[in-house]
Amino acid sequence: MNRNYLSMAGVVAAAATLLTLLVATTPPPVTEELFLVIPRGWIRFLGGFGVVVAALSSCAYLYGRARRPARAGQYALTAGTHLFIWLVIGLVFYPVVYLLSVSFNRNNSVANIPPKGGNLLVRSGVLPDPAEVSLVQYAKVLSDTHLDPYQWGLIVLATLALSTLLGLRAMRKRVDNPYRLERYQQLSAWGIFLCLVALVLSIQPGHFYALNRAGEQIPASSERMIVLYIRNTLLVSGTTGLLAVLLSTTAGYAFARMRFEGRYQTLLTFVFVQMFPSFMALVAIFYLMSYLDLLNTFVGLILAYSGAAIAFSSWIFKGYLESVSPSLEEAAMVDGATRWGAFWRIILPISVPMLLFIFLLQFIGTYSEFILANTILIGQEHWTVGIGLRQFSSGRFDTQWGALAASAVLGSLPILLIFYSFQEALTGQYTAGGVKG
Amino acid sequence: MKAIDLSRDAKEFLPRAKSTGVSLWRSLLLLFAALASASLMGAVGFLVLRLVVPTAPVYTSLVFALVSLVLILRWIARAFDWIMPWYYVLPAIVFLFTFTFFPVIMTFVLAFTDYAGTRNGELNIKSETRVLEVDGVVLTIENVRNFDCADLRNGCSGVRTLLYASGNHPTTATHLDGTTLTLEEPAPAGRSVLGVELYLPDLGFGFETDVVAADGATLMLERAPPFPPDLERTTLRLDRDAVTRTMLRDEGAEITLNSPLPDSFEVEAIARYNDFGWVGTGNFRTILRQATSALIPIFTWNVLFAVTTVIVNTVAGVFLAVLLNNPDLRFKALYRTLLIVPWALPNIITLQVWRGFLNQNFGAVNRLLMLFDVTDTPINWLGEMWPARAAVLLVNLWLGLPFMMTATLGALSAIPRELYEAAKIDGANAWQSFWGVTAPLLRTALIPITLTGFAFNFNNFNVIFLLTDGGPPVSWGTSTARGTDILISWAYNEAFRSQGGLAYGLGSAISIVIFVITVAVSLVNFRVTGALREEPNT
Repeated sequence: MNRNYLSMAGVVAAAATLLTLLVATTPPPVTEELFLVIPRGWIRFLGGFGVVVAALSSCAYLYGRARRPARAGQYALTAGTHLFIWLVIGLVFYPVVYLLSVSFNRNNSVANIPPKGGNLLVRSGVLPDPAEVSLVQYAKVLSDTHLDPYQWGLIVLATLALSTLLGLRAMRKRVDNPYRLERYQQLSAWGIFLCLVALVLSIQPGHFYALNRAGEQIPASSERMIVLYIRNTLLVSGTTGLLAVLLSTTAGYAFARMRFEGRYQTLLTFVFVQMFPSFMALVAIFYLMSYLDLLNTFVGLILAYSGAAIAFSSWIFKGYLESVSPSLEEAAMVDGATRWGAFWRIILPISVPMLLFIFLLQFIGTYSEFILANTILIGQEHWTVGIGLRQFSSGRFDTQWGALAASAVLGSLPILLIFYSFQEALTGQYTAGGVKG
Repeated sequence: MKAIDLSRDAKEFLPRAKSTGVSLWRSLLLLFAALASASLMGAVGFLVLRLVVPTAPVYTSLVFALVSLVLILRWIARAFDWIMPWYYVLPAIVFLFTFTFFPVIMTFVLAFTDYAGTRNGELNIKSETRVLEVDGVVLTIENVRNFDCADLRNGCSGVRTLLYASGNHPTTATHLDGTTLTLEEPAPAGRSVLGVELYLPDLGFGFETDVVAADGATLMLERAPPFPPDLERTTLRLDRDAVTRTMLRDEGAEITLNSPLPDSFEVEAIARYNDFGWVGTGNFRTILRQATSALIPIFTWNVLFAVTTVIVNTVAGVFLAVLLNNPDLRFKALYRTLLIVPWALPNIITLQVWRGFLNQNFGAVNRLLMLFDVTDTPINWLGEMWPARAAVLLVNLWLGLPFMMTATLGALSAIPRELYEAAKIDGANAWQSFWGVTAPLLRTALIPITLTGFAFNFNNFNVIFLLTDGGPPVSWGTSTARGTDILISWAYNEAFRSQGGLAYGLGSAISIVIFVITVAVSLVNFRVTGALREEPNT
C-alpha cells in the first residue's frame, strides 16, 4: 500500500519535471504581423495535456490499487474522463467567456490591437485586456432607457420575489416538511411572472429617448433600444406560446381520444403542412399581411407564427396524451362528467407540465426566429432582438463590437434564465422520449 | 395463425372504439358552410363598418367573422350533435388553414407565375405619361421610355393600363356671393370637384382656389377672389376620373387598346400596371438552366452540410454522452449543466457574435489558432469557400452538440442495467459490452433523432444567413448562389435580395423543390420511426 503512494509521488514529480521542461524549452512567442505566435505551440499544448492526463490517470490508478484493486482501471479511466470533459468545457465556454469580457471592456472596436504588456493570453489578443474592464458598453446601450418609477418598483418586486424563491429552494433541504414551503414557492414564482408580464406590457417606445443640449427629448438611436427589442421579443414569443397552448390542447385531445371520420386525414394534413418551413411561404405571408393591414404589427407576426406552432404543438400533445391512460377520464365520465368536463377537469390539470413544455418550446423557438420578423416588422420600434443586433453586424460593425457584445449578453439573459430555471422540463422531455417526430 | 408482433402496442389488438359513422364529407361540408357564412358575415360587417367609419382597418373583418362563427357553430351543435369532435379541432384548423395552408397554396400558385419586384401586379406610377393624340383605339404617348414594357412577359401585350381623364372642366357660373359659387349646371355626376379657377379680367389671369364643399350646382370656395371674376370663364378642377383598358400591342409611341374610350372621355394621361401572369413551368426551367452554376453545386453542398453536421454532431454527442454515462463519474449533473450552455443561448444572437469571432485579422478564433501555431497564416473564415464551409460546420457543432448529448444521455439511461450485468457475467469487457449492448440499442434510439436533425439542418437558414450570409462569392456561382448558400438561402436571395431582382415567382419555385425534398426525408423518417403508423379510419 505504501508502495502505491510512493509511486504516486514519483509520478507527480516526473510529470512536474516534464511540464517544467516543456515550458522552459518553449521558444519565446514571435510576432507575425498582427499575431503573436508560439512556434509549434500546438505540439507543446497537446504534449502538456497528454502529460497531465497520463499523470492524473496513473495517480488515480495507483490510488485505486491501494483502495479497491479490482477497479483500479476504472479509476484511471474516470480521472482521464474528468480532464477531457474539462477541456471540452473550456472549448465550449471560450466564446461565452470572450463575449462576456468584450461586453465588459472599454474597447468598442473589433479591430483592436492587443496591448504590449500583460500575460500571454492578453498580449496575443486571445482574451481582451482586463485593464480595460468597465461598464461603459452597458451604460451606453442602456443610457437612453428611461423607465417610470412604477416600472422600477416592478423590477424591485420581481427581484425580491426571485430571492425569496431561491431562498425557499435552499431552505427546502433543511426543513422537515418541505411541502409547506411549496405553496410559498409557487406564490413567489407567480409574483415574478406577473411582475414581468406587467413590465413587458408597460414598456413603450416612448420610454426611449435622449436629451439634447436644449433639454428636449429626441428619439433614441437604434443601437440604444435593446431593452425595447427584448420587450418586443418577449411579447411576441409569449403570445405565440400562449396561442399554441390554447389552440393545440383541444386539437391534441381530439386526435388522441376521439374516433371520427377524417381524423387520420386531418392528422396527416397537420403533419405535412407543418413540414413546409413557414418562411418559405414568406412572399405569400407578406402579401396576406399587407392585405389585412397587419404589416409592421405584432399581431401580424404572431399570426404568421401561429400556424406552424399550432400544428407542431398539437402533434406533441397528442403524443403525450396517448401515453396517458384513459382510465381517469373514463371514470369521470362514468360519474356523469361530459366529454368537455373530462377534458377540462381531468386532462388539463394533469397535463400542466406538458403544457408548460409546449409553451417554453414555442417561446424559445420564436425568440430565435429571424426571417419572418425581419420581413413583417419594418418599423424600428417593433424590432426584435435578432433584428436589432443585426444593425451592429452589417454596416458599422467595426466600431460597434463592444455594444454588440453588451446587447447580445442582455438579449440572451431572458432565455438563459428560462432555460436553466426549467432545465429539467426542457431537456427531460427529450431524454424521456416524449417528443416524437 | 400469424404470430402476435409484440413490438406493437397492445391497444392495437383490442376492439376499436366505435366511429361516429358520419361521413367525412358531410362533416367537412358542414364546417365549410359554417366558415364560409362566417367569412361572408365578416365581409358584410366590415363593409357596413366602413360606411360608418371610413378608416376602419381590414382586420376588423376577422373580428366580425369570428363572432358570427361562434354563433353559427352554437346553432349547428344543437342541430347536429355528431359534429362535436370537429369542434375540438376547429380552432387549430382555422389558424392552420389561414396562416399556413393558404400561404403554402399561394406559394404553389406563385411558382408558376413571373411575380417579381418589377412585376408586382400594382399600378406603376412612374410609367405615367401624357397622351398626345387619340385615334379610335390607337393612342400616341409622349414618353416612350418610362412606359417601356421590356420588363414584362410579352412586352405590352395584354398589360392593363389606367387612362386618366383630364381634370379640367370648363363651365359657366351664374352667381358669386362671398365664397358661395352657383353654377349654371351641376358638376358632372359621379366626380368630385376639387377646386375651381375663376378668370379675373382686371388682372388678366385666373384665380385658383380649393372647393370646401359641393352640393349640386352650389360650391363653397375656400377663399373669395380679390376682384370680381368673369363668371362666363369658369373652370372646374375635377378628380382624375380613370378607366381601365388592356393593351393589345405597342409600336414605338403608338399604343393599341382592346376597346375604344367612352365618347365624352377626354384622356389626358396613361399609366400601365406591372402585370404578372402565368409562365407555366418557366421558373422550373430557369432553375434547370442554372443547373451547373447553382442547382447542382448548391444541392450538393446542402446535402453535404446536412449529412456532415448530423454525423459530426452525433459522433461528438454520443462520445461525450458515453463518457458522462460512466456510473463512477462524479459531478455528472454539473458537467451536463455546463455543457448545455450553447443550447440555452438564443442562436439568433450567438450566430451573430460568432461572425465577429471569425474575423480574419482580429477574431478570437484566429488569435487562438495563431498563438498555438495551428495554421501558418490566419484563416480567412468568411472570405473563402472551404474555410467558410468549415466555419459553418464548426459553429453548428458548437450549437448542436448539447442537444445531441442530452438526447443520447436519455437514450443511454433507457438501457437497462441488467443487460450490462448479463454481459459482464458472460465475460465481456467494457469495450465488448459497449459494442454488444450499448451500440445496437443506441442505434435504434438515435436513428429518428438523426433523421429529424437532417431534415432540420437541410433547411437551417439561420446558421447560413446569420453566420456567412451565404458568402463568399465563388467563380462557379451566380450573385445569388454563393459559396455556402443552401437551397433555402438561395431561394431567399432570389426572392428578397436585390441581386436576385426580387424574383418572388422563382423563389417560390425553389421553395417547392425544397418542400418535395423535405417531405421525402420526413416520409423516410416516419417509416422508420412509425410515428404515423396507426389504423387509418377507425
